[in-house]
Amino acid sequence: MPASNDLRRRIVVTIAAFGAIAAAACLAAPLVGTTPIALSRVFDRSIPFADNVDAQVFFIARLPRVLAALLVGSSLAVAGVVFQAFLRNPLASPDTLGLSTGATLGAVVVITFHIDATMFGVSAVPVASFVGSSIALAIVYAMSVARRHGTSSTVLLLAGVALSAFFGALNRLVQVVGDFTDTFRAIRWMMGSLDVGSYTDVVVALVPMGAALAAIAALPRVLDLVSLGAAAAESRGVDVRRAERLALVSASVLTGSAVSLGGPIPFVGIIVPHIVRLIVGADHRLVLPASALFGGSFLIVCDVVARVAFGPAGMPVGAVTALLGGPFFLWLLFRRFR
Amino acid sequence: MTRRAALAAILAACLGAAADAAARRIVSIIPATTEMLFAMGAGDRVVAVGSYDRFPPEADALPRVGALLDPNIERILSLRPDLVVLYGTQTDLRTQLERAGVPYYAYVHRGLPDITQTIRSLGARVGVVASANALADRLERQLADLRARVASSRRPKTLLVFGREPGTLRNIEASGGVGFLHDMLETAGGDDVLGDVKQQSVTMSTELVLARAPEVIVELRYTRGDAAAAADLRAWDALPSVPAVRNRNVLLLQGEEFVVPGPRVAAATAKLAAVLHPERFR
Amino acid sequence: MLAAHGVSFAYDRGAPLVLDGVSLSIERGGIVGLIGPNGSGKTTMLRLLSGTLKPASGRVTLDGADVGALSRRHLARRIAVVPQDTHSAFDFTALEIVLMGRYPHLSAFELEGATDLSIARDALAATGTIGLEARPFATLSGGEKQRVVIASALAQASDVLLLDEPTASLDPGFQLEIAALLLRLNRERGVTMAVSTHDLNLAATLCSDLVLLKGGRAIAAGATRDVLTRENVRILYGVDADVADHPRAGHLIVVPLARVE
Repeated sequence: MPASNDLRRRIVVTIAAFGAIAAAACLAAPLVGTTPIALSRVFDRSIPFADNVDAQVFFIARLPRVLAALLVGSSLAVAGVVFQAFLRNPLASPDTLGLSTGATLGAVVVITFHIDATMFGVSAVPVASFVGSSIALAIVYAMSVARRHGTSSTVLLLAGVALSAFFGALNRLVQVVGDFTDTFRAIRWMMGSLDVGSYTDVVVALVPMGAALAAIAALPRVLDLVSLGAAAAESRGVDVRRAERLALVSASVLTGSAVSLGGPIPFVGIIVPHIVRLIVGADHRLVLPASALFGGSFLIVCDVVARVAFGPAGMPVGAVTALLGGPFFLWLLFRRFR
Repeated sequence: MTRRAALAAILAACLGAAADAAARRIVSIIPATTEMLFAMGAGDRVVAVGSYDRFPPEADALPRVGALLDPNIERILSLRPDLVVLYGTQTDLRTQLERAGVPYYAYVHRGLPDITQTIRSLGARVGVVASANALADRLERQLADLRARVASSRRPKTLLVFGREPGTLRNIEASGGVGFLHDMLETAGGDDVLGDVKQQSVTMSTELVLARAPEVIVELRYTRGDAAAAADLRAWDALPSVPAVRNRNVLLLQGEEFVVPGPRVAAATAKLAAVLHPERFR
Repeated sequence: MLAAHGVSFAYDRGAPLVLDGVSLSIERGGIVGLIGPNGSGKTTMLRLLSGTLKPASGRVTLDGADVGALSRRHLARRIAVVPQDTHSAFDFTALEIVLMGRYPHLSAFELEGATDLSIARDALAATGTIGLEARPFATLSGGEKQRVVIASALAQASDVLLLDEPTASLDPGFQLEIAALLLRLNRERGVTMAVSTHDLNLAATLCSDLVLLKGGRAIAAGATRDVLTRENVRILYGVDADVADHPRAGHLIVVPLARVE
């Protein structure tokens, strides 16, 4: 029977347990890979870095990749939790509002029209994909503002479907204009890749992600209330319109940053919140932090599998999450609609 | 000669003549086969080309009817072709042409030896057997010469890259151990670091580059006049332990001949051999 | 205590008025019924009374203060709403649903304390659902769900309870149960209530006063005995009904007999 110190205790235990899992994943993942490396050599200062293959594998090939997986997985999972609460639909995902498709369109435009500029050490593709997802967000936001009495979740869902279809069509249109090497490059991007190879991309993504996570950290109880419906939340004292805007914008920024960094990696935003809820229950004060930590761990593990389980060339991480996610999604549907 | 044999011979000659006469209006939607047709002297019979066919300049000026993903069946049929050269995998287009009674030649994109084989069979199909065979013979001779020239040199471990996100080392697309790029590399006297990976193209992770430690990295670029490309090679400096980076053996080759497995393949392989074994080509 | 003064409302600019100059008042400790056919504006009226919607013209006041000027949090401490249906997208337990009613009494990051828990359990006991505390809300029956939602509204410790069609989706057994519960809450805890319903017999059971709404206008208001007449039922519903005292029920009952125009 929950009492207040009970809930506080559960929150602490949850964060500690999932935090430990995330820490373990971060520490173990850079040690695993197709290339055998020796930790002693990695940290051997006597070998100049330029000659130290083991150190380069660890610090350039693997560690940034693990950090990127942590950030992207965490962001997608948290965005998933927020969208599922506000759309009152446990099958919603970060792409339900068309954000990933918008981000993909941004990337495809840059790739097709050979816009190869680099700003602050970040290449044009991630910037363009962030812009693309922001445009999708702006459209959804405008719809939310235009309705005087709060947005019904049905309207949002339908708008998302329409936006996804529209941006998807624009996507195909742009690809037809390009030549086949551009198309190939675009398709590769769409499979997702966490092989960032440098810390710049990670640090740049951290800024919007951090801001968005901070905003969402104030919302867990609101998410509980809103999941019963806008009217139910309103009558208990929640300013639903303000909360909706803050939550949707933050979750969209998270999604946009995650897709810019790693490409549109599917299913993380659906699978992770569900697994977390099976373990900790429905209270968002537990679900949010647990999803953030478990999302990062989950994607780190998927990336390790992508790196080592399919021969030296590996597989795109999006394929691994899809292989896991598809059957999982079907199982979820069975459970709910038996 | 018996009467029957004579009749058969006349029949064959007529059919042969019919076949010869049949390919007078050719539509080729593949860059490789377009180049082949022009190189074997059948260029004047080509009435339309694909979206990406740019060589030779005469081909660039012809009307375009789409390519692998988006062939425009109406435009193709409106040109009244008597032969359409298409990809073997374009089943929809094939069905439509069969229904319209238009003959086609199905092209399959494979390794280096298949290029000359295709030249010969396409030449027979079109009716320019002699010049097609001459072209094929010439190419095979050139490739054999190259092979001989570099035979006694040490084969450096080479990575052949044909795609990459500019400014970064993300999404590196390299040639695997299968396909005409791999064959070109082997002919040019290089040891493919990805020779054991049985795929035509490999998306290389940073770790794989470090693990395979190529001695030479050759980047292929197709867009003409890509000025930024040379400066972009500096992206590889992020991996200083790779021998190619350390010894400044990251090289750039530009030109469409590297992506089109057609008659210019010998010239392309020669360029590749020249950068791998400069001492043999002074 | 809670009153509407000539309120009008339309859902969109230029759309027809859903409510047109309606005034009503709910006295402290009373149970007022809003009755009328579908589309008469009953639900909209409740939403205006709770402060969820703002009237296009006119005012809603709580103890004389304009409801629009009060903060949402403050309003939630004074007025609680029980909607017709409650769907939980996630597997909250009954107790968790009830604890959500404590939200207006807690500050931003404050967790529910021992007091909040005892208030919640108290509310569950008052609605006879204490045994369902740990059950997932989604697995409860219609009657149980409705009682838990009422408990959640009770946990808000508000003076006023607004109920929208509280028994519409319940079978006769649960209808009686909820009606008895509401009467008990009103008598024992002095909870002021407004109930919107088109179940005339429920209105007759529960409500001391009625407001009759048709086409967005109040066509009659007053004590139940005065207002719930055969004539008014005909005007409201186009139905010829028998309205009489029932000796065993102890209140008026309405028996619809025939459709008239």
